[in-house]
Amino acid sequence: MPPFAGSEAVGFPNIVSIDVGGQLFQTTKQTLTSAGPKTFFSRIAESSGLHTPFIDRDPELFSFLLSLLRTGNLPSKAKAFDLEDLIIESKFYGIESLLINSLSNPSQLEPFNLQKSLLLPLNGRDSPSALAATSCGTLHVAHGSKITSFDWSLRRKSTLLTHFTAVDSLLALSPALAAAGANDFSGLQILDLEKGRVRETLNWENVTKSGSTVQAIGSSPENMFVSFESSRRNSNSIMVYDLHSLTPVTEIGHNEIFGADIHSAIPATKLQWIEGYNLLMASGSHSGPSGVSGNIRLWDVRSGNIVWEIAEKVDCFADVAVCDGLSVIFKVGVNSGEASYVDLRNLNDETAWVCLGDKRRVVNGKKEGFGCKIETQGNQVFCTKGGDVELWSEVVMGSGNRGRIFKKNLMGRVRDMGGAKITNLAFGGSTMFFTRKDQQCVEVWQSSSREF
Amino acid sequence: MEEESTSAESASSERIKLNVGGKLFETTLSTLRSGGPDSLLFALSNRRSSDPNPVFIDRDPEIFSVLLSLLRTSHLPSTARRFSKTELNDEAAFYGIDAHLRAATAPPPLSGIDASLAAVLRPASEGLPSSFAVADSGAVWIAHGGQISGYDSSLTHSATVRTHLDEIDAICRVWPEIAAVGSKSDAGLHFYNFSGSRHVGSVHWTDPLDPRIFKARVNAVTSSECSVFASFDCIHRENCIIEVDKTKLQIVNQLARQSGNQAKHVVPAKMTWIPATGVLVGSAVAGGAFGFSGYVRIWDPRSGEVVWETNEPGGSGRSSRFGDTFADVEPDVEGLLLFKLCSKSGDLAMADMRFLKDDPWVYLKEKNPSLVSCGEVRNSVVHCYRGQVFVAREGALEVWSRVGEREIDEESERESEAEGFYRRNFVDKREDSERGIIKKIEGGGDRLFVSREDVEGIEVWESSHSSAPISLI
Repeated sequence: MPPFAGSEAVGFPNIVSIDVGGQLFQTTKQTLTSAGPKTFFSRIAESSGLHTPFIDRDPELFSFLLSLLRTGNLPSKAKAFDLEDLIIESKFYGIESLLINSLSNPSQLEPFNLQKSLLLPLNGRDSPSALAATSCGTLHVAHGSKITSFDWSLRRKSTLLTHFTAVDSLLALSPALAAAGANDFSGLQILDLEKGRVRETLNWENVTKSGSTVQAIGSSPENMFVSFESSRRNSNSIMVYDLHSLTPVTEIGHNEIFGADIHSAIPATKLQWIEGYNLLMASGSHSGPSGVSGNIRLWDVRSGNIVWEIAEKVDCFADVAVCDGLSVIFKVGVNSGEASYVDLRNLNDETAWVCLGDKRRVVNGKKEGFGCKIETQGNQVFCTKGGDVELWSEVVMGSGNRGRIFKKNLMGRVRDMGGAKITNLAFGGSTMFFTRKDQQCVEVWQSSSREF
Repeated sequence: MEEESTSAESASSERIKLNVGGKLFETTLSTLRSGGPDSLLFALSNRRSSDPNPVFIDRDPEIFSVLLSLLRTSHLPSTARRFSKTELNDEAAFYGIDAHLRAATAPPPLSGIDASLAAVLRPASEGLPSSFAVADSGAVWIAHGGQISGYDSSLTHSATVRTHLDEIDAICRVWPEIAAVGSKSDAGLHFYNFSGSRHVGSVHWTDPLDPRIFKARVNAVTSSECSVFASFDCIHRENCIIEVDKTKLQIVNQLARQSGNQAKHVVPAKMTWIPATGVLVGSAVAGGAFGFSGYVRIWDPRSGEVVWETNEPGGSGRSSRFGDTFADVEPDVEGLLLFKLCSKSGDLAMADMRFLKDDPWVYLKEKNPSLVSCGEVRNSVVHCYRGQVFVAREGALEVWSRVGEREIDEESERESEAEGFYRRNFVDKREDSERGIIKKIEGGGDRLFVSREDVEGIEVWESSHSSAPISLI
């Protein structure tokens, strides 16, 4: 739109005047219609007649939202106000999505510029057991039998009581909908967090007719994946549900365990969808007399076949994650505590882990990596180690065929280092969330430049 | 939003201009009138619209803009933080929209699983509270050292009355301005008016046929729609409940007279009026070296008869848990339930007041392994508020709340109602519980008021939609 659409409003039918709470504003029809069809503003743009439309709202807040419409960003003077005022006002005008887009957008995540910025306290005495965030930055935290949800601005919260004694797996389906499951309670519950009730309970009908506990939940744009294990722990399966209707689509990786076949007895405890390859990564491990062993499988969901599989016997993973942007699977070894990777682009039967750290530490047998978490976001890999977070990124060198170079950095300033062990890690909007052992709060890391 | 936009165009004649302290505001008549017909703004909106000059109000424009936002959005904007609570209250009272302001600043429905310590009310002198009474609006009267301090629904101190008593052990709201107080060290039930801060009447238990009924002291007070019930006892261990007419402040009835030294004959230390069924619930529990003993009794004040009673320990068929006597009993007035806390096991039991029988108790089970062992505690308090049961064990505060309804067939729900649908959670943090033993809990106005032994002031717990983030930058 031309910024100088005319010095006199009269001759230009393109210009719209609005009276908000006694103050006159002028803007163009294009600006108003950029709010989207069927919003308050588009209706004003259509109905411009002789009368100046009057809106009985606060003029100052309106001026900020008009700037948002014009530029996509809030003016800096809006910082004098509470974000909550602006959210209420934007909801009234029906342009909250623009505000979310401007303030909490996953593309704004700056991994190298994240700093410890907020603590979100949780009431009661239960420590958080699971975290889930949506792409716009809504956060759900399970602590004890409760789930507390924070809105995208992290200013408002609500708490819901569930049937679970503790929630072990949590997935945010939408800002108001979450899927929750537990290792000791049968069924996956779809919780409506706004109404505070269970919308649906999904169960896996297993052969033994016992309960089905949830080991992991994952989702793709179309499907939700749930790893179930029977309560008798002798069968497990990954169910695929349609994300919108929540009806079962297919079942992959169904295992029945007879005798002492330990390797098929491991249910998947992490499910991650690899968008770029249309594959589902399922990993599971368990601790036995000979140490921790496990497996990582890549599933083609449509055919129900395993595309690639690796059995972990030496230095099994403590956690694995796929980085779609880098086409790499990352793991932290449970014994060594070191990060390793395999390249997704050339997987075959001989593919082995490339260790990024000191390989010799494998031999001492201590579980240094125990409880480490690894998550990917964009082209970065975030790996927790004790109370700290390591940020792994690829350094792209122009020439030479020396293989890929990954380098790590410890996140945070000196005063942020250490602290209790990190138990959960999640990303939502432009924010990193994590929880620490025995602390009833969520730590929020945000980019300094985006701070409202 | 839809209606607003249509009215925006059609109702241009409904617009009104206001000049507040030199600053111009424009709004609609409907916004001004939302304050209610008794407000000043409503009166202003009735002026002839043909007058071209805006209405002039000689008040501060900044506070007015806050209150106008309140009327428009029924939400207090962040700019309100520039003003103190009293400033806002006074200004809202001037415009006649104080009810609006109260509604916007009131806490959301109290949810025990998500409550935090919002304030501590500390009277200025002799701040150890001996008792307190909470109103439905969330206002509270604290009795401390013979004084009563009143805090209004925004928790600001409104008045303090000095009574002639040395120590007030029982206090009850009779009228919004009148408190009934009693003491274990001085005879009689006394009425004090808050606004005039003066004594308005006294009631004593006397019996012309029995000269021993003399200097009877009050142990518990509760009030119904038109009466006040006070339990009196004499030095020679005779006790009864006196019904006092609320308007005349005169004795109208005497019930439940009893004497003796047994645990089941002591004076009721706790009384609650159940308006839905018109009965009075009283209980007394004594803790001794051999455990707890006591009774719960329900009277019908019209006949003066005992409708139902249970004594523990003892009484065959009264409780399936012999030897696990209750440490505290509390009725849930809204849900018509009776809750007891077992002294030995620490379990919570529930009885439906509509179907009371020989052994009506249903013991609530908590399946959470980390919370199951409660063990025996010496001091415990039970209080019901908003369908939740708050239990204090020593200094720790916990809540039993129902899990949200599940969309399944009704029969299986009813079956498991008692056990599976109450969940136990802590309200407080460990640090909170170390402040002292909880003596009294009371709920009102979506707040929970808690007093602790030998701790000055009263804690106020509230739920909040605000996440209260702590900035670390």
